[in-house]
Amino acid sequence: MNNPDISRYHRQYLLPQIGEEGQRKISSSRVVVLGCGALGSILANHLARAGAGWMRIVDRDFVELNNLQRQVLFDEDDIRRNLPKAIAAKEKVEKINSSITVEALVVDVNYANIESLIEGTDLVMDGMDNFETRFVINDACVKNGLPWIYGGCIGTHGITMTIIPGKTPCLRCVFESAPPPELSPTCDTAGVLGPAVNIIASLQATEAIKFLSGNIQALNKTLYTFDAWTHEAKALKIENLHQKINCPTCGQKNFEYLKGEKGSRSASLCGRNAVQISRDEPLNLDFKDLAAKLKRVGEVTYNVFLLKFKTGEYEITLFPDGRAIIQGTHDIAQARTLYSKYVSV
Amino acid sequence: MNQAKKLIYFDNAATTFPKPQTVYDRMDQFIRSEAANPGRSGHRMAVEAEAVIDRARNEIAKLFGVKDPHRIVFTLNCTDALNMAIKGALENGGHVVSTQLEHNSVLRPLNALVKAGRISLTRVPHSKEGVVDPADIRKSIKKETRLVVMTHASNVTGSLQPVREIGKIVRETDAWFLVDAAQTAGCFPIDVEADAIDLLAFPGHKALFGPMGTGGLYVGPRVELSAWREGGTGGDSKSPTQPEELPFFLEGGTPNAVGIAGLSEGVRFILQEGLPMIRQHEFHLISRLREGLGAIPAVTLYGPMDAKHTTSTLAFNLKGVEPQEIGAILDQSFGIAARAGLHCAPMIHQSMGTYPAGCLRFSPGYFNTREEVDCAVQAIREIQKNFSNP
Ligand SMILES: Cc1ncc(COP(=O)(O)O)c(C=O)c1O
Ligand SMILES: [Zn+2]
Repeated sequence: MNNPDISRYHRQYLLPQIGEEGQRKISSSRVVVLGCGALGSILANHLARAGAGWMRIVDRDFVELNNLQRQVLFDEDDIRRNLPKAIAAKEKVEKINSSITVEALVVDVNYANIESLIEGTDLVMDGMDNFETRFVINDACVKNGLPWIYGGCIGTHGITMTIIPGKTPCLRCVFESAPPPELSPTCDTAGVLGPAVNIIASLQATEAIKFLSGNIQALNKTLYTFDAWTHEAKALKIENLHQKINCPTCGQKNFEYLKGEKGSRSASLCGRNAVQISRDEPLNLDFKDLAAKLKRVGEVTYNVFLLKFKTGEYEITLFPDGRAIIQGTHDIAQARTLYSKYVSV
Repeated sequence: MNQAKKLIYFDNAATTFPKPQTVYDRMDQFIRSEAANPGRSGHRMAVEAEAVIDRARNEIAKLFGVKDPHRIVFTLNCTDALNMAIKGALENGGHVVSTQLEHNSVLRPLNALVKAGRISLTRVPHSKEGVVDPADIRKSIKKETRLVVMTHASNVTGSLQPVREIGKIVRETDAWFLVDAAQTAGCFPIDVEADAIDLLAFPGHKALFGPMGTGGLYVGPRVELSAWREGGTGGDSKSPTQPEELPFFLEGGTPNAVGIAGLSEGVRFILQEGLPMIRQHEFHLISRLREGLGAIPAVTLYGPMDAKHTTSTLAFNLKGVEPQEIGAILDQSFGIAARAGLHCAPMIHQSMGTYPAGCLRFSPGYFNTREEVDCAVQAIREIQKNFSNP
């Protein structure tokens, strides 16, 4: 810890579960926040205030106006300065707590770099917006024995789960694969309620504080879902899944996502300002359902062979097997972001 | 949709698939039991490996009418051979004549030399069908012209170029004639003597049926190239610099012997089947394809109208559908592999008016059938129907 004075955390270590000993543990811990959108910015905020001594924030996007509705660390000034989210977050967090060390990385999270992103940390926080990257994180964390805290939020509904490799089921014990796009709304097609994200990210942050302060036995052992609108909560018991099913990740130790064997493939298209994204396992998309979902946020047309979706400067052409041509960018990481925003993975 | 259907591979202009069975077998056998480092040691295995490579040189020399097989240099691919030839020939700069039909593997090295102020360049235009007029080449050659470089056939339209006539024109001057045979080596007759070719760059992995990572450059007796990469050649280790005799002068480093063993088998296959037989089959396929697609009103065909003047490659567009989209639909709904876009040859698309979207390219090969051609025509018909009344 840079600053030995821990009095600023007094109200936190006054809690008998934490105490001065727990606070010292928190202060000497290293965490990484993967994705700094709605979930990530709330996670970074809580963890900085709680005094996590060293934090890495990873996000490749820039702050945009439609982020401010829910991404609590950012403001209009960040947009005027055209700041990447990771940098803007680092600035804010350092103002909140100058005694911690923050590292900002403006990069895409993918199978090739995930192990270096989580290396040397004690805990991995999920602030991602798509399932595929979560499977990549899950593979990397299980392989390296690192705990991670999954969180997701869409509409008014959130979900979280704490994964301690070797002790709890992993994400793939619970979800064999990502849900197909027609069935999985995204924040960009279905909307999202700011307070709902706050609730889920706050639950994730609470798990982090428990873990970092040594309260392992107190960690959430369920797949917890919560609807901020109806206050309906469910805590699904999942302990019995651990090592009972033949999980490809934690059972067979076959890290398909980390090896890049599973997951979507992308290629810049020759001569075009376009990227093609295809899936490892072909889907059989129902264009009718998908069109209904996308009509709310852009212009949609389709026939049996393809669906075209226009939004702003981008045009996404989607084929029945889930492959897409994304026009308007030649940046593969950006095309993947658009794909996960509107099609979902 | 059609998972059960067999894939129809129509991208032989990019690389041939499949290869003759003997190519697979030979490479497997070679790497398992014969792959010592050729020329580096005196033991029996090394000598045998060297012999395999020499045999490949002899066969390729036979195919291209090359008298001295040592003038065949093995390379990584056609791009490698073209770079070796272009940069090796133009070390002292000079003027270069080329065309707008070229692939990026010719366009880019030339552009880089122009940009570096090392050469001046004249690019001759081509007809609407994608054919260069020899008179334009003649007009462009000046006293200081060092090199005339052009493709034997466009990889977009398949249009064959009058290389023999141009070769004769260049031969009357002091310039060297470099031909990019990426689209013709193995499927169209080439004779470096009769065609007056000084440098012939060819890929091993296209119509010669070798594996990827193989290619070669023929270096004629009129030409002097500068060294490409210096290194070990096996013999002559005492010499402080690269040995001056071919092929070693241009072949530093351990070669892709496994690939060359496969390539050798591919060339044997061609010599056995007979090049006229291969050409005839491909000609039938491409004529049928041209006829079938030409009968669809929404289809625009590019290149020469008569398949006699093309390789087995056909470029086209379907009104109202982006080429990349047709490519994706063909792939997933019909199991047809074809290449869409600019095909690494942006200038010809600019002159055909298909830039930057490009077009779709069908390139059937020797192992395709007329049924597959009919399937492809039918597929385009179905796509066209769905887009005209969605
Ligand atoms: C006309 C032409 N030149 C050069 C090349 C480059 O060949 P390679 O891929 O073997 O380097 C190609 C192949 O795409 C081609 O079609
Ligand atoms: Zn598992």
